[in-house]
Amino acid sequence: MAELSREDVLKLVRLARLELSEAEIEEYQSELSQILDYVKQLQQVDTAGLQPTNQVTGLINIMREDEIKDYGYDARKLLDNVAQTEADQIKVKRMVE
Amino acid sequence: MTKNANYSATIGIECHVQLKTVSKLFSGAGNDARQAEPNTLVNHIDFGLPGALPVFNAQALSLASRAALALKTRPQKFSTFDRKHYFYPDLPMGYQITQYDQPIILGGKVEFTLNNEKKTVGITRAHMESDAGKSTHPAGKDYSLVDLNRAGTPLLEIVSEPDMHSSAEAKAYAKELYLLMRYADVTEGDLYHGNMRFDVNVSVSQDDSLGTRTETKNLNSFRSIEKAIDYEIKRQIEVIESGQKVVQETRGWNDAKGRTISQRSKENADDYRYMPDPDLPPIVIDDDYIENIASTMPSLPDELRLKLAKNGLNEAQIETLIEANVDIAPAGYLKLLDAYADDREAARTLANWLVNVDIPLFRDEPSFAARDRSKLYAAVLKLLNANALSSTNAKELIQACLSMPELPQAIEAYAEANGLLQQSDSDELSRVVDEVIAANPKAVSDVMNGELKVIGFLLGQVMAKTKGQANPGMAKQILEAKLLK
Repeated sequence: MAELSREDVLKLVRLARLELSEAEIEEYQSELSQILDYVKQLQQVDTAGLQPTNQVTGLINIMREDEIKDYGYDARKLLDNVAQTEADQIKVKRMVE
Repeated sequence: MTKNANYSATIGIECHVQLKTVSKLFSGAGNDARQAEPNTLVNHIDFGLPGALPVFNAQALSLASRAALALKTRPQKFSTFDRKHYFYPDLPMGYQITQYDQPIILGGKVEFTLNNEKKTVGITRAHMESDAGKSTHPAGKDYSLVDLNRAGTPLLEIVSEPDMHSSAEAKAYAKELYLLMRYADVTEGDLYHGNMRFDVNVSVSQDDSLGTRTETKNLNSFRSIEKAIDYEIKRQIEVIESGQKVVQETRGWNDAKGRTISQRSKENADDYRYMPDPDLPPIVIDDDYIENIASTMPSLPDELRLKLAKNGLNEAQIETLIEANVDIAPAGYLKLLDAYADDREAARTLANWLVNVDIPLFRDEPSFAARDRSKLYAAVLKLLNANALSSTNAKELIQACLSMPELPQAIEAYAEANGLLQQSDSDELSRVVDEVIAANPKAVSDVMNGELKVIGFLLGQVMAKTKGQANPGMAKQILEAKLLK
């Protein structure tokens, strides 16, 4: 079985901005290792000469004209969903020292 | 500093160019955030609300294609969008939409001349991506504020090869890239508002191998590019000379202090977990599309330089004109010169006026730049050619006219009313010369006895009598004819 280290899990947790308990870290270490095993199996398939699949819809060139669109609501309404605001801006934990 | 001679620097530049669209890259919100109140140019797409579907702006593709042609390559016929994941409060979706392995531009080059030497800097790639929001950090508070007006603004990130080896080369590259993007009409190019932002990668080495590089981010002027690179080269050499190692890291530029500051080390660099964006189907273009764009491309700086050089203008004049022509946009300096394509002498005179009078005036006062001054210059050139204006007074006349809220309609009448015309009527001048000769018998006899420089004194008297309006060349000719025959 592919062994994902505890450090690998902690890195993923940090990148995903999650907070996991000790028990969860162990649980995911094992589960993610199994997923990696599965990916390893997939990697054995010979894909030489195959086009990479970016999309499964078969669509191309879905574009719109460059114009301002009225979505039918006041833009400031979006701030209603924001936890904290000040002076019509989104208030967040300080990003710099 | 003699130690610097043992080191060579290697420099690569990434430039984010803001594309000149009306709306955002993937939403129909307005794209000009300069004057807008916070969070007014936003919608559910920019806010990254669940289920919101981004739709690509066709104009961004057109502008990126123009950029490709300006970089002497062609846009890729197949390109895709990817998600670049990271968490930051100014990025509501939790990922940036960008182009990772199949960007719109692969290859290309920027050519420029530095100290009479032709330089070529290769372009590795350029990709379209959306900008993040803008954050501010109120002094003394424990929070930051985020305005998402800029979130989703279309950018083209142009990545150069590490082909530069001095700050002067880097500055010249950045300037040429700026001119190319302006002339190709890809961006508004408002550097003050960050329409083009430069990240410089710098390393130093004592041999052919590459040293560890640092990246100094978010430079928005040519001067700061030059200063930041000079600082980084010096700093890295000092680090190595003191026996330490340069750390691969991201640095910021403090313009007031004139130095770069460590921001984050690459050792903790985020893994961006790129993946194809399932919301955005690939972009496919054909030769017809590219040819269509190519047919609308204007003359680019290189071609204009050649044309102006053929008109006999010197390099400094040419560069000033090319920069001012896009910078003080409506003025149409090159168009004014076009009218004299067949008359090198007139073209050179006009170029001098533009460079020395017109352009400096409108750098200070851009609001008058839109005025059509083709008639003004035609009239002044005509007066000059007819010897009715001295070259000094021609400049003064132009300066006076351009400084007025409205250009005067009758240029000659205005010049006359303001005493700028010179006396070139030979009968009238001849009469004044006779008066001067009669009034200065001593000087006249000196000249006749061979003291030729005394003619200068007599000429001065003629100029004084005509209140400076006599054509000096003609007055001197008449004096000599009368005294030396």
